[in-house]
Amino acid sequence: MKGDKDKAVVGVFSYLDDALSAVEFAKGSGYEYKVYSPVPNHHLEHATCDSRSPVRMFTLAGALFGITAGFTLAIMCSLDYPLRVSAKDIVSIPGFVVIGYECTILFGAIATLTGLCHLTRTPNIFRKLGYDPRFSYDKFGVVVSCPSSDVDAVSKGVEDSGAEEVNVENGL
Amino acid sequence: MESAEENNVTYKDVNDIVLKMLEPPTVGWYVLLGLCISGVAIGAFCFSQQLLHGMGMAGIAHPIMWGVYITNFVFWVGIAHSGTLISAVLYLFRAKFRMPIYRLAEAMTVFAVMTAGLFPLIHVGRPWFAYWLMPYPNERALWPNFRSPLLWDVFAVSTYFTVSALFFIVGLVPDIAAARDAAKTKFRKFLYTITSLGWTGGHKNWSHYEAAYLLFAALATPLVVSVHSVVSWDFAVGNVPGWHATIFPPYFVAGAIFSGVAMVVTLIIPLRSIFGLEKLVTKDHFECMSKLIMLTSGIVTYAYVTEFYTAWYSNNLFERYQFWFRPFGEFKAAFWGMTFCNCIAPLSLWWKPLRTNITYLFILSIIINIGMWLERFNIIFTSLSREFIPAAWGGYNFSWVETGITIGAFCWFGMWMTLFLKFFPAVAITEIKMIMPAPMRKPAAGHH
Repeated sequence: MKGDKDKAVVGVFSYLDDALSAVEFAKGSGYEYKVYSPVPNHHLEHATCDSRSPVRMFTLAGALFGITAGFTLAIMCSLDYPLRVSAKDIVSIPGFVVIGYECTILFGAIATLTGLCHLTRTPNIFRKLGYDPRFSYDKFGVVVSCPSSDVDAVSKGVEDSGAEEVNVENGL
Repeated sequence: MESAEENNVTYKDVNDIVLKMLEPPTVGWYVLLGLCISGVAIGAFCFSQQLLHGMGMAGIAHPIMWGVYITNFVFWVGIAHSGTLISAVLYLFRAKFRMPIYRLAEAMTVFAVMTAGLFPLIHVGRPWFAYWLMPYPNERALWPNFRSPLLWDVFAVSTYFTVSALFFIVGLVPDIAAARDAAKTKFRKFLYTITSLGWTGGHKNWSHYEAAYLLFAALATPLVVSVHSVVSWDFAVGNVPGWHATIFPPYFVAGAIFSGVAMVVTLIIPLRSIFGLEKLVTKDHFECMSKLIMLTSGIVTYAYVTEFYTAWYSNNLFERYQFWFRPFGEFKAAFWGMTFCNCIAPLSLWWKPLRTNITYLFILSIIINIGMWLERFNIIFTSLSREFIPAAWGGYNFSWVETGITIGAFCWFGMWMTLFLKFFPAVAITEIKMIMPAPMRKPAAGHH
């Protein structure tokens, strides 16, 4: 990626295909960029994301921990306080499946949330470089980080892509 | 299907229509909230009497030790169910008709589980010892019995509540961000800034969000089947005539979805009218929900018939007597009421004009919910009042304390719903936009 990135050029777009053109421009020119969108969109995802989200790994880890924890809890507690009921085994696996199953889902969900928060760096109410309230409404935003010396060229590139408004903000 | 897209609704319209619901409350809203809080106060007073004077204040007594409290518990867990069905299962099946209604259904799930969770606590008599239900380290090495369905229920319901709440909150975050950006008062701006967690809709965030949302849906889907199955095992594992049947889990799950969809209809019809959501929630959505009601009503009716058939075919004296007692015994009014509300009345939906008649659907949805409450009443009361030994048979009259707590529970649910409607988007902005084509300068390259 180019330069010191002390400036951010913000393009506001009404049309998704225009915003995607600006993304192609930023990628082609080697600048870092960020796209704000009111909705997730598969065109946008294809244009901007090279790999699948790793959040599923968090889910898998949480679910594996949960199933282990659920069965361990039920087995260890039963062994610590052996209470025979109706001649059933003290370690009665069929009955413990419910506990293991519920813990799998519970910890899987908690881990998914943890992964999502970690990967999206939320909560963080202060980080909004180039953000405009219209981006949660009906506009798309493309923010291109660049050095001061490239601002004019980048602004022109973004405008030529179809931006209806181009602003320059202080960058990172 | 007629959708937001075919109604020529734009992204801007979706924000405007939904966020308009959050505008300053009207007198009617305050009156409704006041009524709900008054009902909660009545319930709290009745509960305080039970706490002060003991469980004798409630009508529950041998042999019907579960009474109205457990009837209410099962009813509210059932109501919760269809929220997860609509939000998670139909999401995985990409059913578009869920989009305008699923947020309300999810809210209903969370608040219904919050209501259901009160009843075991009220029922145990000494709720300050409720933490004994959980396995916690203690010096006596005394642990709960993990082979008991009642403990399974603790895990099932607490997991269900946690996962449903997470799924609900994660879905809300982008919409709260939209509310934040449109907020006009300092209080609302502050509230939404905090609760939106700083969401901005950056492209990487959406990528992780979509993956996480799909995983949440996949995790919540088995809960649709499991939670009410586990609740049904509270009954089916017990060797009581009328309860000890393997049909209980699917029977309970279908019944739960049946009652929950009816409750969604009960809630969405007045909201649609009050907040002008006709463009987003169309008659086609009601037709889809009506078909779901018809399907689940059919399954529930089949389960009722199967119970009678197996009682007859088993040649078991106690089981046969139980299923004679239900339609002709002391509680026959509950049985015939249940049969009419759950099996006969929904048959009218085979006639298409009624599936799209909003007034009729509203009335029918209330009838179904009365029927489903009666179903749980029927299961608990008739079976416990006629177990094996005639000397142990008995009846039941529920007391004013139980009545007050039951009214309080409905008002508790209503109070949370009323507050939710005015503070958070009750219709999913983001998901409705997702089924609309993205605005393109060259439409040919657009939505597919």
